[in-house]
Amino acid sequence: MPIIEVKNLLKKYKIIEKEPGMIGYFKNLIHPKYKEFTAVNNINITIEPGELVGYIGENGAGKSTTIKMLTGLLTPTSGQVIIDGLVPYEKRIENNKKIGAVFGQKTQLWWDLPVIESFRLIKKMYKIPENEYRKNLKKFTELLQLEELLEKQVKNLSLGQKMRCEIAATFLHNPKIVYLDEPTIGLDVLVKENIRKFIKDINKEKNTTVILTTHDLKDIEDVCDRIILLDKGQIIYDGEKQKFKDTFGNSITAEILLKNKKENITQKLYDEDFEIIEENEDNIKIKFSHDKTTIVKIVQILSNYGDIEDIHMKEAELEDILKEIYRGVKIC
Amino acid sequence: MLKTMLELGKIHFKEYTIYKSNFYLFTLNRLVEVIVYIFVWQAIYNQTGNAGGFSIEQMITYYILVVSLSSIATWGINEDMSHAIKSGKINKELLSPISYFKYYFGIYLGEIGFAIPVSLATFILCSIFWKVAMPANLINFILFLLVIILILPISFFIQMIIGTVGFYTNSIWGMQILRKSVISMFSGLIAPLTLFPVWFQKIANILPFKEFIYTPINIYLGRIEPNEIWIIIAKLLAWITILYLIAKIFFNNAVKKITINGG
Repeated sequence: MPIIEVKNLLKKYKIIEKEPGMIGYFKNLIHPKYKEFTAVNNINITIEPGELVGYIGENGAGKSTTIKMLTGLLTPTSGQVIIDGLVPYEKRIENNKKIGAVFGQKTQLWWDLPVIESFRLIKKMYKIPENEYRKNLKKFTELLQLEELLEKQVKNLSLGQKMRCEIAATFLHNPKIVYLDEPTIGLDVLVKENIRKFIKDINKEKNTTVILTTHDLKDIEDVCDRIILLDKGQIIYDGEKQKFKDTFGNSITAEILLKNKKENITQKLYDEDFEIIEENEDNIKIKFSHDKTTIVKIVQILSNYGDIEDIHMKEAELEDILKEIYRGVKIC
Repeated sequence: MLKTMLELGKIHFKEYTIYKSNFYLFTLNRLVEVIVYIFVWQAIYNQTGNAGGFSIEQMITYYILVVSLSSIATWGINEDMSHAIKSGKINKELLSPISYFKYYFGIYLGEIGFAIPVSLATFILCSIFWKVAMPANLINFILFLLVIILILPISFFIQMIIGTVGFYTNSIWGMQILRKSVISMFSGLIAPLTLFPVWFQKIANILPFKEFIYTPINIYLGRIEPNEIWIIIAKLLAWITILYLIAKIFFNNAVKKITINGG
């Protein structure tokens, strides 16, 4: 049984069309003109319990709008959302008890109070049994290194410290599903790694379903098994992370050290199965894909033009692939 | 459920107590208000000797009670809600495992929990400087407290309605100001209602705001008999029901149409 089922989900916003100047301002005040804008356009998603899903796309692709509909914060224009058997925007409170959410820099902690006060309130609000609360608190304190933070006022924490507390607060009531909307934004590498490891650990232990949106693809690379890629409100890829890389990312870049070069290679070799990105005095950078040629063939060709001393190869990373997709090089 | 609301109230109260100077400054502020009111009325009484059927002693007590009660009557959750809507923090509040109403009622209790000591401190401080009349009798004093308790849900639901408007307008600052002015006008906060035109008093009799300040003070002073109070209590209960229904229906509709700030 899937835990998240989304069918033909559509969300249209009305936005006020602003006219310039003071006159425009008053015109708007009296008779606002609206423009319709489709944020999420007919998407279908099915997620099984325990999945770690990376939900990615450019700014404004519709990620946050989707998350808000999944959590019940927004009502869809049309389509259906079923979360663990419930329609979230109809059975809000019941749904809220089963989920957890982190929204970027918005905090759920009480600004002026020590962190532990917020945790205690969460315990009371979600009616977490005493021993369960203690167990989780102990474990989270260890995993996220909260020991010294619990008694500090939230306003005195750094961004990274605050986010670690935030993540702990979100998982405290053992939610079945957790939505993380850009949880690592603005954090340093160590804190990011800490949070990623925490998410994986909890997922493994409690089979928590996690939907993660982020612009840091290392998050996805590290945490997620599945990628859903959104562009202009539509899903353009949904599947395993590895397959995504295989499908879109079969290009390989190689840097070849070439001594005693006789002539300019770029001018000679423009019609080969590989692409020359850069050519310098004693090295050359090329790009090729496995299904067209091999590095051995390339080396054979290039050895006609000089003495090859060294070869560095690099497989495309998620980030490179997405860059290309965003640029519109490949659209499936 | 009540327990959870009280916990929310407690945490909001603790927030206030972090800044201990708040308490003293609020109380001092009230004291300044009392001084101004009393000076003005002493000047008027020196000229006329009578105003609205109050003796000067009663008038002094009236204003000390006005200023003491005004925190309870006007404080609330609109600032918090306004901030939550603007910053998008409201996401978290709408995702909490208790309803939005209960959540904010908890916060409201914390707010009132802080307003009560401010009110008491103001009253005690004033009674050092001026001669304050004691309650007319025990029954009137109990009824005085009862009316004050009954205005709390009224004040709360009005603020929930204003807060819900914020879902559409994103800003409730103007409405918040309006709320306070309307309360000041119709509650007798500025002056005893008997000093206003008759048509104005008729409107004030229908609206619930008179009970925020004017009615409880008159009960305290013994200017309203206990047997007249049942009609007042019935009026308050009717207003609680009406405002609850409006607030609830309005919110339930609004929440389906909201868009929340921020990505």
